Amino acid sequence: MRKQTLSLAVVATGAALVLSACGGVETSTGSDDGGDYPSGAVEMYVGADPGGSSDLISRQVATGLSDELGETFSVINRSGSNGALAAAELEQAEPDGSIIAVQNASLFAITPLAVAEGEVTSIDDFDVVGGVSRDDYVLVTNADNGWATIDDLKGAGKKVTYGTTGVGTGSQLSCALTYSTADVDAEAVPFDGGAPALTALLGNQVDTACLQVGEARENLESGKLTALSVFAPERIDALPDVPTATEQGVDVEVYQYRFMTTPKGTPQDVKDAIWEGMQATFETEDYQAFNEQNSLTPMEIPGDEVVEALETDKQRYADLVEEYDINLAE
Amino acid sequence: MDAFLDGFAVVSQPENLLYCLIGVLIGMLIGVLPGLGPAATMAILLPVVVTVDPVAAVIMLAGIYYGAQYGGTITSVLLRLPGEASSVVTVFDGYALAKQGKAGTALGVAAIGSFVGATFSIILLSLSAPLVAGWALDFGPAEYAALALLGVLLIATIGSGHPVKALIAASIGLLLATVGRDSFSNAQRFSFESMQLADGLDFVVVAMGLFGVGEILYNLEERHGKAHVPAAVNNIWPSRKELRTAAPAIGRGSVIGFFLGVLPGGGAVMSSLAAYATEKRISKTPERFGRGAIEGVAAPETANNAAATSSFIPLLTLGIPANASMAMLFAALLVLGVTPGPQLLEERPDLFWGVVNSMYIGNVLLLILSLPLVRIFVRILRVRPAILAPITALITILGVYTINNSTFDIFVMIAFGILGYLMKKVGFEPGPMVLAFVLGALLENNVRRALLIFDGDPTGFLTRPISGTILALFLVAALFPIVQAVRHRRRAPVPDETTQREDVLR
Repeated sequence: MRKQTLSLAVVATGAALVLSACGGVETSTGSDDGGDYPSGAVEMYVGADPGGSSDLISRQVATGLSDELGETFSVINRSGSNGALAAAELEQAEPDGSIIAVQNASLFAITPLAVAEGEVTSIDDFDVVGGVSRDDYVLVTNADNGWATIDDLKGAGKKVTYGTTGVGTGSQLSCALTYSTADVDAEAVPFDGGAPALTALLGNQVDTACLQVGEARENLESGKLTALSVFAPERIDALPDVPTATEQGVDVEVYQYRFMTTPKGTPQDVKDAIWEGMQATFETEDYQAFNEQNSLTPMEIPGDEVVEALETDKQRYADLVEEYDINLAE
Repeated sequence: MDAFLDGFAVVSQPENLLYCLIGVLIGMLIGVLPGLGPAATMAILLPVVVTVDPVAAVIMLAGIYYGAQYGGTITSVLLRLPGEASSVVTVFDGYALAKQGKAGTALGVAAIGSFVGATFSIILLSLSAPLVAGWALDFGPAEYAALALLGVLLIATIGSGHPVKALIAASIGLLLATVGRDSFSNAQRFSFESMQLADGLDFVVVAMGLFGVGEILYNLEERHGKAHVPAAVNNIWPSRKELRTAAPAIGRGSVIGFFLGVLPGGGAVMSSLAAYATEKRISKTPERFGRGAIEGVAAPETANNAAATSSFIPLLTLGIPANASMAMLFAALLVLGVTPGPQLLEERPDLFWGVVNSMYIGNVLLLILSLPLVRIFVRILRVRPAILAPITALITILGVYTINNSTFDIFVMIAFGILGYLMKKVGFEPGPMVLAFVLGALLENNVRRALLIFDGDPTGFLTRPISGTILALFLVAALFPIVQAVRHRRRAPVPDETTQREDVLR
């Protein structure tokens, strides 16, 4: 009888082991000329936790690439330091296309304004394959406050508090720039991500918040929140009635965008193969519906244009922060 | 109400029912195994369940927790060996009854009491959770800060074990919470320029180490080559007279369990102690206790199940884990991509009501299963730890790697495993440390957030009604033991029951 109990335990353990081992897959070895890329499974690192927009976008692109290129593209979450952890691992990976990553513009253009010199991640350490999509920020307030425009904030008659999704994020930068440019007395209250900032705003714990459109959309539609402005270059499809900050005379343009990267020195034909797969993905109905559902604006531009945009934005943000004497890390 | 009913639809999906059954079975199993508690089991199984649908995974993990409360009774009664810390007091009268040939009666009463207590608690949970979640929007940074502060104090002072040791462990937990990036200034703290530590220690990894690996090491040493001969079980149904004696105890146990379960630092262990002490105090024949009083089994077994259920309230509505097992469930939810907190009820009603309603079904399953399975579970005690330990250790190591795909995490877990083992060896419970670790970040960040909102004025904490009330409670809870100690010293020294109980715990 004792043997039976024992073997039961062993079987159960075996099953558990198999289950836990499912995560690991054989990776693509890739050849030097890359002509037959991908030659095996590809890992896509994500520098964020499962469930957030960075993760969802990577998964959507991974599904598309798996379908188009015929090998498994599996998403691996390596969250931490706004994505710097995943970036550091990608940087050290073999440049053969077996490990690739969709990365966020904020890591290269905004985070450097908030971290020490040694912690800065540079786009020069990566090859950029091409752009994916843009994720816009919106300045929102609880509908109870009765504010509708940035001008209304000037008449608030008190120090306005604003929730952000964290230090060194586009959410913080867009809000900080808006309040400085519009000359409104304000205080930043950083939260750990969009959901707690949203909850605090709904409970009137903070007066305003800068959130990504997808995070705020549901409560905007139900009327619990009011959008004061978006920070895109022009009005966005998801919120056509909300004016941009520039329209309201507050010259602030901040947005998040994401793009595909590979380790520096990846062969051109490997990058071409990935880019072709991505472009085919962008054409699918599934993918376009995903963008719409998540309030994402396509930004499907070639890699060199992405790098250019990153350099411009980084400089622009740095200049603005200096001009208005904003310290993101305080 | 619709969401509540939809919750039953969620549970009755065959997959979820299956996971509920697996959960309660594992729960009962580890309840029988002394040493291996629900928190450790969740830690070990966590990486396996992340491959499952979140609702099913949480249903299963919840089942492990309340299932363990049923299992713990069995060994307490039959072997004088509490399978679970929350069944320690059941030993006194449960084993006495077994010696009188009434093991069946004791188990029967315990099962009935468990079922009643749990069901009472689930009904109150179903009614009160939406209310609490409704207030949750009024919970701003100031309220969270006050609640976290109260939580740390209660964990350290009212849990089982030595209060000073618990306070030390909690302080270390608070310190550990400061490792990594300061989320307000981006400054690095105690990270030694390591990228791996830049975001702080991963709570899941720390908990898996302290609870999982620590327990494995500790058990390996503790349960070496003991042979157990269980008492015979016959006649499970208690007589009418016995039921009449037990009924009031079951009623009081339900209420005590429910309220102590909600408190941070409370939960199954504490409520079973409190329920037993209450019965003994109000009994007209206290001398029967310890010699086979049926109330001495009914009250604690009812209370620990009621508490196991009600401790889900603070977790599911506010995102604050009340005890170690809830902290593990908190970790599981995070790994599954679900943030427990006020928005949970609104955003994931399927998960919320699915899990709550699965408890109704899980408890029915336990009531039906626990008695027929007694013999089989007792046999499991014969699996030597030398065989069980390497297998569980292997699963844990594989598992922690799969969470973040990081080998660094394996070493962190092993380091905390060794720490957990050493702590247990010298009488420190790892529970307060892990809970303080969770609450530490909550406390620090929310104090700072609140001060930003108050424009630096600390009186804001006192003038807001909810945070003011919580802080008043904090003061009472902090001063109470001191006042009691002074009063105690004035009276003649009486032999203290709690110290005796702690001896059994060791």
